Amino acid sequence: MESSGTPSCEQSDKSKRYDRQLRLWGDHGQTSLENGHVCLINASAAGTETLKSLVLPGVGAVTIVDDAKKYTFSFHSFFVDSDSVGRPRGEVALRLLLELNLEVRGTFVDQPLQEILDNQPDFFVPFTCVIVTCLPECTLLMLSKVLWEASIPLVVIRSYGMIGYIRVQIEEHAIVESHPDNEMPDLRLDRPFSALQKYMDSLDLDSMDSKEHSHVPYVVILYKHLQIWNQQHGGPPKNYKERKAFIELCKTGMREKENSEIEENFEEAVKAVNTSLLPTSIPSGVQSILNEAASITPSPTTKPFWIMARALHEFVTSEGRGALPVRGTIPDMTADSEKYIKIQNLYREQAAQDADWVLRRVQELSQQLGPRKIVTSLESDIKNFCKNAHALRVIKGKSIAEEYKGSINLGEIGAHLENPESELVWYVMLRAVDQFHSEFRAYPGYFQDQVETDIVRLKVCVNRLLADWGCGPIVKDDFIHEMCRYGAAEVHSVAAYIGGCAAHEVIKIITSQYVPINNTHIYNAITATSETFML
Amino acid sequence: MATHIPGIYEENLRNSIKSCKLLVVGAGGIGCELLKNLVLTGFEEIEVIDLDTIDVSNLNRQFLFHKQHVGRSKSEVARESALRFNPKAKITAYHDTITKSTYGVPFYQKFTVVMNALDNRAARNHVNRMCLAAGVPLVESGTAGYLGQVTVIQKGLTECYECQPKPTQKTFPGCTIRNTPSEPIHCIVWAKHLFNQLFGEADPDEDVSPDSADPEQVGEAGQSALDDAANDTGNVERVSTRGWATSHDYNSKKLFSKLFSDDIQYLLSMDKLWEKRRRPTPLDWDKIQDKDVIEDGEGLIQDQRPWTITECRDIFNTSVGNLYERLQILDDDTLVWDKDDKDSMDFVTACSNIRAHIFGIQQKTRFDVKSMAGNIVPAIATTNAIIAGLIVLEAMKILQGKIEECKTVYLNRKPNPRKRLLVPCVLDKPNPKCYVCSEKPELCVRLNIEKTTVRTLEDKILKSALNMVAPDVEISDGKGTILISSEEGETEANSDKMLKEFNVVDGTRLNCDDFLQNYTLMVNLIHSDKLEDGVEFEVIGNPDELKKAQEEQAKMDTDAGDSSNGPAGAGASSAVPSDDENDLVCLDDEQDAAKKRKIEEDEERKPAKKLRSATPDDDDIIIL
Repeated sequence: MESSGTPSCEQSDKSKRYDRQLRLWGDHGQTSLENGHVCLINASAAGTETLKSLVLPGVGAVTIVDDAKKYTFSFHSFFVDSDSVGRPRGEVALRLLLELNLEVRGTFVDQPLQEILDNQPDFFVPFTCVIVTCLPECTLLMLSKVLWEASIPLVVIRSYGMIGYIRVQIEEHAIVESHPDNEMPDLRLDRPFSALQKYMDSLDLDSMDSKEHSHVPYVVILYKHLQIWNQQHGGPPKNYKERKAFIELCKTGMREKENSEIEENFEEAVKAVNTSLLPTSIPSGVQSILNEAASITPSPTTKPFWIMARALHEFVTSEGRGALPVRGTIPDMTADSEKYIKIQNLYREQAAQDADWVLRRVQELSQQLGPRKIVTSLESDIKNFCKNAHALRVIKGKSIAEEYKGSINLGEIGAHLENPESELVWYVMLRAVDQFHSEFRAYPGYFQDQVETDIVRLKVCVNRLLADWGCGPIVKDDFIHEMCRYGAAEVHSVAAYIGGCAAHEVIKIITSQYVPINNTHIYNAITATSETFML
Repeated sequence: MATHIPGIYEENLRNSIKSCKLLVVGAGGIGCELLKNLVLTGFEEIEVIDLDTIDVSNLNRQFLFHKQHVGRSKSEVARESALRFNPKAKITAYHDTITKSTYGVPFYQKFTVVMNALDNRAARNHVNRMCLAAGVPLVESGTAGYLGQVTVIQKGLTECYECQPKPTQKTFPGCTIRNTPSEPIHCIVWAKHLFNQLFGEADPDEDVSPDSADPEQVGEAGQSALDDAANDTGNVERVSTRGWATSHDYNSKKLFSKLFSDDIQYLLSMDKLWEKRRRPTPLDWDKIQDKDVIEDGEGLIQDQRPWTITECRDIFNTSVGNLYERLQILDDDTLVWDKDDKDSMDFVTACSNIRAHIFGIQQKTRFDVKSMAGNIVPAIATTNAIIAGLIVLEAMKILQGKIEECKTVYLNRKPNPRKRLLVPCVLDKPNPKCYVCSEKPELCVRLNIEKTTVRTLEDKILKSALNMVAPDVEISDGKGTILISSEEGETEANSDKMLKEFNVVDGTRLNCDDFLQNYTLMVNLIHSDKLEDGVEFEVIGNPDELKKAQEEQAKMDTDAGDSSNGPAGAGASSAVPSDDENDLVCLDDEQDAAKKRKIEEDEERKPAKKLRSATPDDDDIIIL
């Protein structure tokens, strides 16, 4: 037996270790993750929690930037142990994190972030994603600007008392596998491709014996009755009422079995009418991606996603006659396996043909860009791209600098703040404590003897912020008291929550699977509630 | 530490964090995260129990375990690792099963709060009852892929874990498995049964040979000589599969011929079965030809590449050899099927695919077979971290005496249309009809009194379906006839007798008592000789629901005359699976749909007897 096809079923240690997650994002997702390099700035509890949930599933490499000099043993932070008192916090955290997974490489940088920002402009280039916690506002703004310009995703996390915060800054993020919830099958019954049509037309339900009749895959049943329907109505059923009438039409084709049982395949056909007879169309979100792709002039710096989208656009307008490539998968159905497999192969072959067209077009486009930089897209990537064409997503983010400059939708903020159930008030509070920190070099309530003064000072910060946004002083004092009560302490359970959520987002970003949050997530541990905002 | 910051936790809470005693049940995915959160929050008195040992596939999320710990006790290693975060904590680890009688009501009463971090419903049911009996609040939790859930249970105040009946797992009629498979899962279940017949603890309910008593075949007049060959239980009178294999030294080629050629020939002779079905094609060891090597295989790890039939045969050969060797070393003991064991998994993949090939059913990759055979639910560190954080925060409310402020919190895969990732719901009041936590728990069970043994009542109904550990059963006939005693040996003689022999009739009430769980249940028996094929009994719920079910049944009979819809149509109250897709809900953003879901963490570890069950696939499947 040839080497690649050896029937050895030896599972490598790695696939055993990652078995449970491969079932969520697949081998290719795992490969992306293993090629990822994540940088954490400040090894706080929330920071180390996030890294832990990235090291365990096997991110390629981690770098910790932390200048907390000596660690005095306390339980504030997570990845430190009693043997490590006196060692730099980041170093200890890194050592303990790497123990969790020997596959992961790690680096510790014992340098203040400000110094890096001032002297090493290219420091962040190698990173797939940067995670940051506990930064003063001005440094955060500098960092976010550098990363925005370099198109490196940034995830800001905070665990502040009973409040958690995640902000994803990503200039543009293209998602091929968005894993939509309710996927409709792509059967093309309203516009069958020629091979499908030819096969379908070769079948005759009426002349089948009862065994064959009750084992015809339901796609055939739908197709056949659609032909009858079209003759009577001039086009496929368009609305609920017509689909209902269509169901009745299908039922007339059903034969009674000897034992008075109902033919299962017909039952399935009837159930599938609502999802399988929807007209083949391009979802509006995908259409706007295609439009954008049509408007760009490919250049050597164009991302592979856009080259593929460009080729896809051309496919739709020519070869595809207005439709996306055939997806090539069909649902399970009660059927004899010969017919089922035959039909399955028809769809699969058409999908391969369509993907091939797109592949050739991508290659042509790449060649036009000259030999200097050929956009390398693997064949499997393009297949995957075509298969998921109906669910492509592109997220356009907003920079933190822009958000802080006050380009927030003011009307929305005001409305949210007046809604007692909205968590947006905590966003205001977090922004206010940052301003407080800039002004007084400490977080409100940090020194127990100053709580009363801090309450007054924080209130000033809050109202100033609201005034800047053109809102009245609508934040209740309770929130200000609550914030001062925290004294910027990290509650570990809140850090655990935020770390878990942030790692989720980082994995989504690195694997380009599932849709990340755009752009702010607030968690309120007092009420166990959360809300996402686009700020 | 956080608790030292007076602002966040007031003094009372700080004190109770230090002094209270916690029980963590399970040191797996959620358990590891939970223990870490607890010691880092400052809890100092923690006991943790888990019967499992560490497996490689745990390491992608159970971060208290490292590679060098594989094979060691989960609870003990979790204790050691968690202590590194806070050496002041006092953690007691038990490498044990929670259902043991050692852990009775007094054990539970030691604790201020009990926290479940379990992966199976049987254990959850048990701890639920123990906490109800001990009057201790319980924080219950679960995750599956990106989804998670936390809730709080307190006797008399909230719903208990069993207030809302949950559907049991899908089972398949014996004839489908043995004679007429039509889906991949049927072949996989058959292959797992075959494993047990050959190498494991053979269960007579898991026979894999052709069933000549198939009602489709037998129901017809003019039965051929086949009947003569069959004994009254429907099995062709011949040596057991195990005996046959032993007498042939587990020769893989001979086994192959028997299973995939002779037995299939036999099935073909039952011609009634194939009138409306595709006939299976017997497979000859020497004549396998791979028509087309299946494409799409490149670039995939071997697990995800479909095997050709030749490959299946070769892997069958190797795995049978290896497993037989292991069986011989064990002497009198048997192997236990384990999805993470290479040979076991290879064997099931090869056998199920060969059988699928024979019956013209779609073949599956080893990766997919593993999901289906092992009931694998995907699992990652992130979800467990989030849920463990939520557990501690709910527990804090209990410590503050604010249990009424606790919530059931659901974690969605992505923010719902109202932009909520978390959906908190007010805790529901106890169900006054609950067959576990109500004042006088009562339940109806439909079965055939003439065909149900006392053993079936004890093992399958009371222990397996109703989760009792060691039931005592007395017939409520005024005479106090003892049917089953939990004392060993006392009622052994009853085991093989039919219920009928004890004057049990339609409507007889059984007083079932579990001393350990401090739980008494009145079971009303409903006689029926019209149970669906392969179904031995149906749990109907309380007497009111029975009435409703009967009415519905009557309606259904008149409406449709459709005999295939059994009385399982009693809706949510039925513990019998319906074939309806509705009991498996892919959870998405509908928060109302989210309201009632209950989740099993990790894979279900089912005892050998329950192997005839499976979930359809690996993705986010939540039991509604």
